[in-house]
Amino acid sequence: MRIVIIGNGVAGMEAAIAVREAEASWQITVISEESDHFFSRTALMWVCCGQMSHRDIEPFERDAYARFGFRRVRARAVGVDTRGHRVLLAGGLSPVPYDRLLIASGSAPRRGPWPGSDAHGVGHFVTMQDLSWYENEIHGGASRGGPPPRATAHLSATTADSPYQFREPGAELHGRVASKPAVIGGGLIGIEAAEVAVAAGLRPAFFIREEWFWPIALEPREAQWIGKRMGEHGVEVHLNHEVESLEVDPIGAVSAVKTNHGPYEADCVVIAIGVVPNTGWLANSDIERDERGGIVVDEALQTSAEDVLAAGDCASVRWFDGSRRPEQLWYTARDQGRIAGRGLLGNRSSYARGTWYNSAKLMDIEYTTAGLVNFDLERETNWFFEETGKVRSTTRVVSQDDRVVGFNMLGRRWDHTVLIKWIEERRSLSWVLPRLHQAAFDTELVPPLQAPGV
Amino acid sequence: MDQQGQNGLLATYREGWRNRGVLGFVISTMLIAFYVVLYWEHKVEARFGVAPLTALSESIGLRNRWYLYGVLYSVAMVGGGIYYLRRHGNSRYNRVRITVNVAIQIALGFTLPFVMPLFGGQEVYFSYFWPLKYDYLYPQTLESLPLYFAVYTVIGSLLAAPVLALVYGKRWYCSWVCGCGGLANTFGDPWRHLTSKSDKSWRFEKVSIGIVFVLALATTALIVVDWKIGAQHPTLHRVVAGNDWRDWSLKSFYGFAVGAVLAGVVGTGLYPLFGPRVWCRNFCPMAAMLGLIQKLGRYRITVKPGMCISCGNCSTYCEMGIDVRSYAQNDESFTRASCVGCGMCAHMCPRGVLKLESTGRRSLAVVDS
Repeated sequence: MRIVIIGNGVAGMEAAIAVREAEASWQITVISEESDHFFSRTALMWVCCGQMSHRDIEPFERDAYARFGFRRVRARAVGVDTRGHRVLLAGGLSPVPYDRLLIASGSAPRRGPWPGSDAHGVGHFVTMQDLSWYENEIHGGASRGGPPPRATAHLSATTADSPYQFREPGAELHGRVASKPAVIGGGLIGIEAAEVAVAAGLRPAFFIREEWFWPIALEPREAQWIGKRMGEHGVEVHLNHEVESLEVDPIGAVSAVKTNHGPYEADCVVIAIGVVPNTGWLANSDIERDERGGIVVDEALQTSAEDVLAAGDCASVRWFDGSRRPEQLWYTARDQGRIAGRGLLGNRSSYARGTWYNSAKLMDIEYTTAGLVNFDLERETNWFFEETGKVRSTTRVVSQDDRVVGFNMLGRRWDHTVLIKWIEERRSLSWVLPRLHQAAFDTELVPPLQAPGV
Repeated sequence: MDQQGQNGLLATYREGWRNRGVLGFVISTMLIAFYVVLYWEHKVEARFGVAPLTALSESIGLRNRWYLYGVLYSVAMVGGGIYYLRRHGNSRYNRVRITVNVAIQIALGFTLPFVMPLFGGQEVYFSYFWPLKYDYLYPQTLESLPLYFAVYTVIGSLLAAPVLALVYGKRWYCSWVCGCGGLANTFGDPWRHLTSKSDKSWRFEKVSIGIVFVLALATTALIVVDWKIGAQHPTLHRVVAGNDWRDWSLKSFYGFAVGAVLAGVVGTGLYPLFGPRVWCRNFCPMAAMLGLIQKLGRYRITVKPGMCISCGNCSTYCEMGIDVRSYAQNDESFTRASCVGCGMCAHMCPRGVLKLESTGRRSLAVVDS
């Protein structure tokens, strides 16, 4: 049996390993344009700062392909011939035949819609190549950990529209590294890009279109609280700033961000306005995609084409609220990869999503969420507490009709499994609050949360 | 405190001296040279006619070079402790732990042994136990110690240390009390990310620390036997203890190979190249003993399921070379013999996935390895 997997991110690798664990003799080919090794995309910012090396963000040792017996193809897939059961490659490489195929091509950064978005000094922060670009802009080169192995191996088999193309830094044109970076887009990648700049001793400008930071996850009180911390770290936060264009100087490098509140000087701009499914390369293949570009899959992650599955960021799956869209999270990609692995083995099993939860780290503030927190539910009430003193935190418990439906926690650590259990048990606020400390997951010696009713 | 606590951490890989750059090799060479002179100054003196450390000690009014070493050790721990707090001080566990560890070194590892002889007392170390301080269970040593201290060290080594390791894990010693661990976590902290996480290094560690542990047990046992019956068995006495301190015997070999070469020259000299726990991870017999006990006890690292993003901050900053991520990404709570419970994995985790625990509650499965 010939298994082909496009993408060596967490979904692709989980599936590949699941197949190998069950079938020692099957031929498994992994096609990756971006990198030789599976790495944790969520850790790119730490490589850029210098807190980690490329080797550090790879979950397996570098002999993993050999150990698992995976064949590696480092090239860009440009289409799937579903009738001929072949994956087409760029660079004149011969197509790869498959008996069963998994597409796990992940996300690509959403491109800037503004004039000047392609200028030197403008980039994104999603791919390994984006990391290389941003490192060059901010630091003038890779850290002591060095670049990843065979960083440019894909360039002989790629296309001009690939998200894995290298961008030339504006720093090279100026003959110096960036001194005034700007970040556009008030989400998680944006705050990471800003933190990278702060770690390099710079004061980045952070342009956010909305009234507050990260409105899909935070309410104004929480966002203001984060905004204050960003300010203390040296980030210049500009709310309600709509970008109109990026100004380009005569040598072709970005020089300013023009907004509805006027222009701001900038010699490096990170556009962090979200990601889209990395499926543009499927335009001429008869695999059904939705209007967002996500590959349409059923409960078992089967696509419209026979023997083709899709998992991870590129697949539109059913959410807890019944809608179908891509789910751009690490742990869901991991879970989907495992389901897809079973599918590749010929065992149909279903991907079912339970109660929503997630976590993040915003500068030095940890964030945990579970349930429905920013849905403006009917008859919704919010219990909110801001803790000052030794530990700074905010706690928000969302209830509907005296049933707790969500938690939004900043600054402390919480065990989401306990929070989810309470939501699913339909507990009331007066039941939950006195027991809140049972869900605490702070490191040892941290004083417990003291709040009225808790 | 929250923000200051991360100073320099983000730039770890951007500084050559912390990443096997030229300066890293220079620091390592200097440390090795220092330890060689410290341990074998009589040979240096025989060859070059100078005893540099003794001369320096006497010129600043210290009794001998070991006091100079004590001063330097304490200074390195205080300076390194400040560095540590700047990098990781935004964790309360780290703050308390490193403060206690440095305080114990200053009080019990330096001041008390320094002061006691001034009042006619004996130089004793309350913070070191057998088998790390291997001669503290040698009968000849016990006989020469004040009775209260002989009782303290026997009970401490054979009863208190193992029991505390059962209850709290080996961290009570390796990360809160021990001077070697203290130096590693303060002066050695700039290099903590350099400890190898490879499977190969794990295999090496298991063999090497096992060999030293067996050697430590055998040496102590044979010295006890020799003390009992050595007078009637001159060959045994010659092999185990030697007739003269210059003789090569099991006792002097252990002191040379483990006490000087592995703990000092290799253990500290290689900080800038292989991370600060070379000795603790690969050779320390105390760590080996407490590690085995730890596997039977309550201590564990609890993993919150489904939240790990495989970023690897935990593994990168594990000074013992444990690939914490490999457990976390599989939602497996675990106890590893080598874990000294420094708390860094839990502190570094950006998703709050890890928690050090030594409570009786075992809510999540613990995997053995």
